[in-house]
Amino acid sequence: MTEPAATVVIDQEALKKAQKSRNAWLALALVAFVVIVGVSTALRIQETDFSGGDRLYFSGYMDEAASEEADREAQARIAARQAEAEAAAETATAEQGDE
Amino acid sequence: MSADMTAQDTSPKLATASDYVELMKPRIMMLVVFTALAGLVAAIGVTGQSVNPVLATVAILSVALGSGAAGAINMWYDADIDAIMTRTSTRPIPSGAIPKDEALTMGLIMSAVSVLLMWIASNVLAAGILALSIAYYGWFYTMVLKRRTAQNIVIGGAAGAFPPVIGWAAVTGTTPLDAWILFAIIFVWTPPHFWALSLVAHKEYAKAGVPMLPVTSGAKTTRLHMLLYTIVLAPVGLAPVATGLGGIIYAVIGSLLTLAFLYFAVKVWRSRAGEPDAGDAERKLAMSMFAFSILYLFGVFAALIIEHGFGLYFSLGGF
Repeated sequence: MTEPAATVVIDQEALKKAQKSRNAWLALALVAFVVIVGVSTALRIQETDFSGGDRLYFSGYMDEAASEEADREAQARIAARQAEAEAAAETATAEQGDE
Repeated sequence: MSADMTAQDTSPKLATASDYVELMKPRIMMLVVFTALAGLVAAIGVTGQSVNPVLATVAILSVALGSGAAGAINMWYDADIDAIMTRTSTRPIPSGAIPKDEALTMGLIMSAVSVLLMWIASNVLAAGILALSIAYYGWFYTMVLKRRTAQNIVIGGAAGAFPPVIGWAAVTGTTPLDAWILFAIIFVWTPPHFWALSLVAHKEYAKAGVPMLPVTSGAKTTRLHMLLYTIVLAPVGLAPVATGLGGIIYAVIGSLLTLAFLYFAVKVWRSRAGEPDAGDAERKLAMSMFAFSILYLFGVFAALIIEHGFGLYFSLGGF
């Protein structure tokens, strides 16, 4: 003989109330997220000196490392251009001498 | 209005806000937030760099969210063993209050939000370390270490040690030696702290098949390991005095707490805590050491906040 299936009664009103409460908290969290992102971004923009080469969402040594790398690359480009110019000048001088 | 439903393994429960809070492991979160705050305040005090209070608050909030996210992921993965252990069987997932998938979704969304907020409020380094710490706890400790090795909480302890480094990085964008000393304090503190609890709960861990040290190597070995880690913690805990990060207040509070922690460790080592014939006094002793370990961590980090946050830093020299 099989046992009759046990039943559990769920109060649908309490279920809806709990769901409503969760939705309200979720909505509040979303609003808080938007406000926090907005306020933080505004403050970061206010504090960032864009003309001085600052970047909004990067700071610290990673910026310094990137900046040093950019400096090194720029110096390498200048040195390469100078070398090219010197080589061209030497070629021109040699050609003039030949003439 | 009501409806009949066929009974399930767990009786249906309506999740309340407190269930969601519990899913985020609020007690761990408090300690995480406190140590992150100490790192942040110490960084301001040491470097003299200023940080907008609103952005600092958002950075700390991000750490709290990240901690909660990792806790939710941990509870999602460990739901099966939580249901076996009496201590954890009332948690939101095994009690049926929150569905497993919902906990995972919440953990993943909160992880992303916390890292994003940290990046917006501070810098990419702090956000990166926060992401690493969430992954370390939520994936590496929970899914890889916890059920495989008795060294789970030794290696996994790093997850809880990141917050002061994150706090420091949020201010300076760097992680100097002082920040890693704070990391080391929590890292070395974790084993004696956690093993004190597992000496009491080892039968539960054995029942759930979690290879905690008392389960795999016995209570005697565990008590010895607790003593050894506490001995190592003594110089590590006082290292901030040597580097100049901690001043007179830190030196006094740190020394007293270290001595007391050593006292508890020796007492537990000499006891029969965790043994099958251990009585209520041994159980109480292990729990006292567990409770004191929390006070120790709170005390040393509070000393840093007092010194650097309230202008009460008086140098003892350092190098």
